[in-house]
Amino acid sequence: MSTYIYAITASDHPVRLDGLTGVGEPASEVRTVKTDALTAVVSDAPEGLRAKRRDVSAHQAVLERLMADGAVLPMRFGLVGPDDDQVAAALEGNRDGYRERLTELDGCLEFNLKVTRDEDDLLTEIVHESDEIRRLNEFTREHPDAQNEKMRLGELITEEVKTRQEREAGEITDRLSPAALNTAIGDPVQDTLLNVSFLVEREKAAGFSEAVHKEAGRHSEAHTFRLNGPLPPYSFV
Amino acid sequence: MSIVQQSNAPTSGGGSGSLYDVLELILDRGLVIDAFVRVSLVGIEILKIDVRVVVASVDTYLRFAEACNRLDLEAGSNKPSGLTDLVGDSMESGAKGKSKGALTGAVEAITDSLQGSGEEDDGKRERERSSSKSSSGRRTTRRREE
Repeated sequence: MSTYIYAITASDHPVRLDGLTGVGEPASEVRTVKTDALTAVVSDAPEGLRAKRRDVSAHQAVLERLMADGAVLPMRFGLVGPDDDQVAAALEGNRDGYRERLTELDGCLEFNLKVTRDEDDLLTEIVHESDEIRRLNEFTREHPDAQNEKMRLGELITEEVKTRQEREAGEITDRLSPAALNTAIGDPVQDTLLNVSFLVEREKAAGFSEAVHKEAGRHSEAHTFRLNGPLPPYSFV
Repeated sequence: MSIVQQSNAPTSGGGSGSLYDVLELILDRGLVIDAFVRVSLVGIEILKIDVRVVVASVDTYLRFAEACNRLDLEAGSNKPSGLTDLVGDSMESGAKGKSKGALTGAVEAITDSLQGSGEEDDGKRERERSSSKSSSGRRTTRRREE
């Protein structure tokens, strides 16, 4: 039976697993594989596991529980080893590396921030600030068949959208970074202009949240700031 | 501005709203062990992560040009930032007052979850969600007792 791995912790982590259930249908039992220095939190890997909502949810729930009691290295969803012995061997094989990382992340949490801006609001700003775009916009409205002008208009807007989104994303990140230990920029998802994770010390989490709210206050109603956390440090392992 | 704070308390079990918002972290980040395999994410049954970057393409150009043509450049109700400019100071102080309110709630939520005192405060935990995207140009934040 192959072994699904949720997380790696130090061997002195309490690893309270009561009431937790693992991935799979029916849900697997969450247990541990221990070496002298490290503990892997695992379960049997169900046949044909896929990223269903309940499975991702179970993975995340195990990590949130572990995170509350001490440093944890969260595994990416879906990681499967051949069996418990080989999981133990993997822990032993990179023992110092894992220990070091756990020490570095001790007392730290991840916060993920996604910022979106209403598209019409951004386009309105662009039209107001560029004579050429305004001219082309008026022209193509009156001449819906003017394909060349339409393409030119679209091209200019695309450049402006990109430039402005990057500028805003950079400014927001720069202003928030001092409140965090580390920053990891992620790929844009859906319509975000910024998707960024911050590593924050546990006792500074409230201050960090305050900094995000202050930053959100600098922006218009058309901006939405979605702050998720505290999370296991997925982006910093 | 509007802000949505989702506090992933250890005991909250991860509401589906917040789970969706951190999906790409769970699926694409996190530690791997090189020698081990990952289950295939092909046929993923939860909503796909939609990566949308601004790509220079004919489709993008036309989409933007048409969106731009459709803009109502004169109507105040449809351009939030323009509204702020027009109303000026009074609007700004209004926004400040609002952000202060949101801030207090969020810090409380964070403190709760950090202390791990989930059992007794589960009932009063607040979760804020943005209203549906399909509403007008402006997005608002709703606070809800759960």
